[in-house]
Amino acid sequence: MPSLCNALAALRGFPIVRGMKAHALSLLTLLALTISSSAQGKLRVSSFSTILTEVAQQVGGDRVVVTGHVKPGVDPHEYEPKPADLKAVGEAQVILLSAKHMEGYVGKLKESTGTKGAVIEVGDGFASLKMKAENDPNKIVEDPHWWHSITNMRKAVKVVRDALIAKSPADTALFTDNAAKYLAKLDALEKWAKTELAKLPRDQRKLVTSHDAFQYFAKENGFTIYAIEGLSSADQPSSKKVADIIATIKAQGVKAIFPEKIENPKVLKEITKESGAKLGGELHADGLGEGEAATYEGMYRHNVETIVKALQ
Amino acid sequence: MRGSPLLRALLAFLAILALGWPLRQLTNAGDAPREQPKAAVVAAKEIGLRLAFTLVPKSVKVLHLGKEVWSESAPTAEMERALKLAYPDAGIELQFQIEWPADAPLAAMRAVLTDPAGDAHEHSIWGQGSTEEVVAFP
Repeated sequence: MPSLCNALAALRGFPIVRGMKAHALSLLTLLALTISSSAQGKLRVSSFSTILTEVAQQVGGDRVVVTGHVKPGVDPHEYEPKPADLKAVGEAQVILLSAKHMEGYVGKLKESTGTKGAVIEVGDGFASLKMKAENDPNKIVEDPHWWHSITNMRKAVKVVRDALIAKSPADTALFTDNAAKYLAKLDALEKWAKTELAKLPRDQRKLVTSHDAFQYFAKENGFTIYAIEGLSSADQPSSKKVADIIATIKAQGVKAIFPEKIENPKVLKEITKESGAKLGGELHADGLGEGEAATYEGMYRHNVETIVKALQ
Repeated sequence: MRGSPLLRALLAFLAILALGWPLRQLTNAGDAPREQPKAAVVAAKEIGLRLAFTLVPKSVKVLHLGKEVWSESAPTAEMERALKLAYPDAGIELQFQIEWPADAPLAAMRAVLTDPAGDAHEHSIWGQGSTEEVVAFP
């Protein structure tokens, strides 16, 4: 802002400007200062989760500037921060992470940016479900996909609200009100989902996926997960593995499977042909995407509708 | 072997063609998807459903798998009905749609489901005006 003030002061030297009334210049200066201070007064938030980017925007409203580092449609498992991300993190007052080991770079992020901002590892406060590691099926890790539980989402909203209030207590009323509105939306979404899923008999709630990302969803809605590994890998799964998958689908009477990132179409064709199960459509596993999945509500509705349609 | 090269080529082509049809039949036989797997069919069994209200509603509906199984347009403070529904080991979900008088205070409904084994499972629903809730039993 000093540079703008200096420029305005320098303008006074021009003959035309000299003729202007002094109070007009003062008003201009005041306006520039007002605009600048309103931008500077906003909380800067860095988010490494598309879900938390939405939460921060909804709860923070126009009092925050949120930088979403992981863009919609980008696989957060594969994401690595770039220099521009590190600069933004260094300037942020609140840094939001999905946690549960989703951001393997968190240590380096803190070290390299030397951030003074509050690093909030949101998911670490929620009870964990376990899953097989994506790169090593023999290793059991925490399932990081906590946002597929609306109960966890409610907790996340409160965590983000409290983090913003801690940094800007003057905005407590606004953040609290915005959070309450977002929580009401989640309540309505949960009610809708329960009604939709009630169309599926409880003994037919079997979710066969190639990406083990829906355990929180399954636990909350009475589903059993059968993860089929090998379809999202370029490596050919063994014939025994394929036979086991087919046998499981047949034994459980599963009507549809929900593969993701298919790099083995031949294997998938064999599984659907031999088991009789159909392809159930794409589920959004790793966060927000494009189109209807651009919002949390849209993503969740898409997943529920896809599952009900395929298994009904 | 005698004969024109053209005739020999034609004979060879016909021989391949003759072999091709049975080969195609053999390789394509399994292409048609098998019949969709069927979940084990759960026989419909009788369950008891008892509803009690702190405030008599204007109407109440019960849905199972998205279909209406009980509707009362003039409910009483306590009602009971036997329903025949598929009741798997995993249990069932019932959707309740209750319409309480518009200006009435917060009211509650108590639902007691007696499963085919004779075990009772209870659940309460609180609401005002139009209330809709899915309840899992047990």
